[in-house]
Amino acid sequence: METNNAFMRMPKTPKRRRASATQALAAVVLAAVAFAAPTARAADMNKVIRHVFPAGEEGFDPAGAHDLYSGTVEQVIFETLLTYDYLARPAKLVPLTAEAMPQVTDNGLTYTFKIRKGIYFTPDAAFKGVKRELVADDYVYSIKRFMDPKIRSPWTWLVDGKIVGLDEAAAKAKEMGSFDYSAKVPGLEAVDRYTLRIKLKQPDHNFSYVVAHEPMGAVAKEVVEAYGDSGGRVMSNPVGTGPYLLKSWTRSSKIVLEANPDYRGFVWDFKGGSDPADGEIVREMKGKKMPQIGRVEISIMEEDQARLLAFQNGELDLMNMEGPLAPKVLAGGTLTPEMQKKGVKLSRFVDPEISYHYWNLQDPVVGGLTKEKIALRRAMAMAYPVGEEIRVVRNGQAVEAQFPIPPGVNGHDPAYRTSVKYDVAGANALLDKFGYKKGADGYRTLPDGKPLVIRYASRPDSLWRQMDEMWKKTLDSIGIRMEVQKDKFAELLKLEKQCKLMMRTASWIADYPDADNFMQLLYGRNIYQSNNACAQIPEYDKLYEQTLKMPDSPERNRLYHEMAKIIENYAPWRLDISRYRNMLAQPWVVGFKKHPILRAEWQYIDVAGRTN
Amino acid sequence: MTAYIIRRLWQMVPTLLGVIVLVFILFNWVGGDPAYVLAGKISNQEQIDNIRRQLGVDQPWFVQLWIFIKQVLTGDFGASWSTNEKVSDILATRLGPSLTVLVPLLIIDTLLSIGLALAVAYVRGSLTDRAVMIACTVGLSISVLVYIIVFQYFFAYKLGWFPVQGWGNGFWENLITYARLPILIGLVVSIAPNLRLYRTFFLDEINQDYVRTARAKGLSENRIMWIHVLRNASIPIITNLMAGLPSLLLGAFLIERFFSIPGIGREVILAVERSDFPVIKALTVYVAFATMASNLLADLMYKAADPRVQLK
Repeated sequence: METNNAFMRMPKTPKRRRASATQALAAVVLAAVAFAAPTARAADMNKVIRHVFPAGEEGFDPAGAHDLYSGTVEQVIFETLLTYDYLARPAKLVPLTAEAMPQVTDNGLTYTFKIRKGIYFTPDAAFKGVKRELVADDYVYSIKRFMDPKIRSPWTWLVDGKIVGLDEAAAKAKEMGSFDYSAKVPGLEAVDRYTLRIKLKQPDHNFSYVVAHEPMGAVAKEVVEAYGDSGGRVMSNPVGTGPYLLKSWTRSSKIVLEANPDYRGFVWDFKGGSDPADGEIVREMKGKKMPQIGRVEISIMEEDQARLLAFQNGELDLMNMEGPLAPKVLAGGTLTPEMQKKGVKLSRFVDPEISYHYWNLQDPVVGGLTKEKIALRRAMAMAYPVGEEIRVVRNGQAVEAQFPIPPGVNGHDPAYRTSVKYDVAGANALLDKFGYKKGADGYRTLPDGKPLVIRYASRPDSLWRQMDEMWKKTLDSIGIRMEVQKDKFAELLKLEKQCKLMMRTASWIADYPDADNFMQLLYGRNIYQSNNACAQIPEYDKLYEQTLKMPDSPERNRLYHEMAKIIENYAPWRLDISRYRNMLAQPWVVGFKKHPILRAEWQYIDVAGRTN
Repeated sequence: MTAYIIRRLWQMVPTLLGVIVLVFILFNWVGGDPAYVLAGKISNQEQIDNIRRQLGVDQPWFVQLWIFIKQVLTGDFGASWSTNEKVSDILATRLGPSLTVLVPLLIIDTLLSIGLALAVAYVRGSLTDRAVMIACTVGLSISVLVYIIVFQYFFAYKLGWFPVQGWGNGFWENLITYARLPILIGLVVSIAPNLRLYRTFFLDEINQDYVRTARAKGLSENRIMWIHVLRNASIPIITNLMAGLPSLLLGAFLIERFFSIPGIGREVILAVERSDFPVIKALTVYVAFATMASNLLADLMYKAADPRVQLK
């Protein structure tokens, strides 16, 4: 097994030998000072936050796990080069392990990051007693792991096709049967111990966001070599440089994190925004050494009632309130008087996500760009009552999505209003006009007289049964016969990626807060990947390719407006909703505000005056 | 006896083969392709093919079936497709919590059901008998989900007699603190059908000539009921008990989910949701084994309970 020195190994000349001896002596002295020094830990081990996840986690390898809950834990164990300012809205990037924001040169092709000195991995047996500093090579190694076929990382798309030489390294790995981590990748270079240089194939204005995404956290090669499973993943021995470490883990039941005693810490100094709640948070937290919380206990509770009762019983401190539970503690957008009396706090905002109903543009019944096919899709879009879905299915915990870019994401326009309005009479008139005639049974046929049946695909659970009913009612109102295609999520995903579904409701939550993350969903080259409507609309694709070359700007936003109009005109989607995020916090939780992109906030908050 | 056991063990082989083939066909027919989920939010066909290759689902069906058979023979089902955790580790860590709830539940339920069934059978036709039977019928008509929701709300949340949910680290902590309410709910659900069933077995025996003879000989009612009637009714009771034993390996899905117990029932649901075939395969084979073993054990117990039974 190699230690961290492996990254700096060089042939030894007499001069280098003397230098090595001096360095070794210095390292011993430094290590002795570091180990003997009183712990810099600000966290109080008696301060505990009890959190809940509604679903189980996979594990804690940034390149291996891809569920939200694994990512939440990974975010406080591993550290990315950049992160988001805790209070700034809209979300704003700030350095984390980088000294500053990257230097972007070569017309946006080269990103250079200077890594802060003195950041250390949590002590672990894998380091064989050596205090292990975070260096640029750790990021080189971590990024290479995304392309290692053995790991089969679900995050390959973050770097696939972007970094000079990385795709070639992946291709070679497929050929040779293993990824050669020691081979140089021209676009991924540790210039020196603390300087990382990444060269892109083409300018990507979102690459800083990609770097801040939690899968990009630094892992140490020694840890992977010591604990990696047969697939090269380290799912149960996460060792990072972040504010917390994994203390114990009962899979899909309980995760206990403890403050990392070797974490460098920081002083809470965030600026509040226009939100009136920010002022109180700043007053309570400013100047505190962080993290304050010594222990985070996360329980996994799949059932709504169990979560709510546990929160009301004081067994949980933080909890996300999903739609079905909302009426029990929320009256409209505020807490019920009972919850207010208890002092419970609510952090509420519209999630950076959209749900949309899509039609497969390759499907022989609803697909195509001919006028009668567009009319059919637009009629269905016009007949769908989004307001009723919000009221009945979502318990009021959503807003109608007017624009394909949701709130909190660069490029969102709060003033934009979709031209697709709920209008059943108009939808019927449109179908009549384009020859979709009604038969004796009240249902329409295709213009050529063939039967018209819409197959709506959905999952076999209660939410989707309600959605089936919504669409059945919608299509009945315009005389279109509907069938429900029920299947498990995995199977629906497979059929969707093969463009074999006719119609489904999908959703997309921001990986990073930029419009491109949403607008790529209809780009023709993303068919069989993320373009689940299998849409190839030349006007849209042309504009999308223009936006790729532009930074966030009014000019780019103007193009997004045009693209939104194209979506409304061709109707590959019926934009549906964006859901509210309702985070509940007990009265003793101080400084909590849910961040729209960050998964975990434990390192930014405190507890005071707990009553149980 | 030994020859009988060996013969029965041999008979398990074709049964197990049938189970293997059935599970294989069912999973490949309706199980879904996990590669598309594992590939993440944005993936291309090449990445999906790579995952399928690593999982072995791109192999011809007969190769996959042979791998399954080898896994059954070696008892090594490999690693979970979604988490890469060894299947043996998954089962080993999840079985304990399930058994902490289900074993006490089985013991208490059996003792209570038999005792109460004997008592109401003894006073057959009385007001007590009728009241107990009506209560059982009402109890049977209510879904387990209702019991869980109501008991968790009133006894745990409102009255604070039990924790709302949770699971600790020590066996006694779990048994005494966290398992009490799940066991109580399990009892309420299972005692009604068992009591009714066992009462029927006892009533069949109470009217037999040997009971009348025992009374004529002046034996006490306690001895007649607890020794003679109970022993003669034990064969159908053993059948019922043994039929329920394999379910210990499957855990209690709903109770484990509602009370956040890290048992095998939750794991089964997760495995099905994630199309995690290695976990499903292992569980199915173990339950099939357990069913066959408990059937054999039941036959041996018949012989112990009733010497007239011949094992052939």
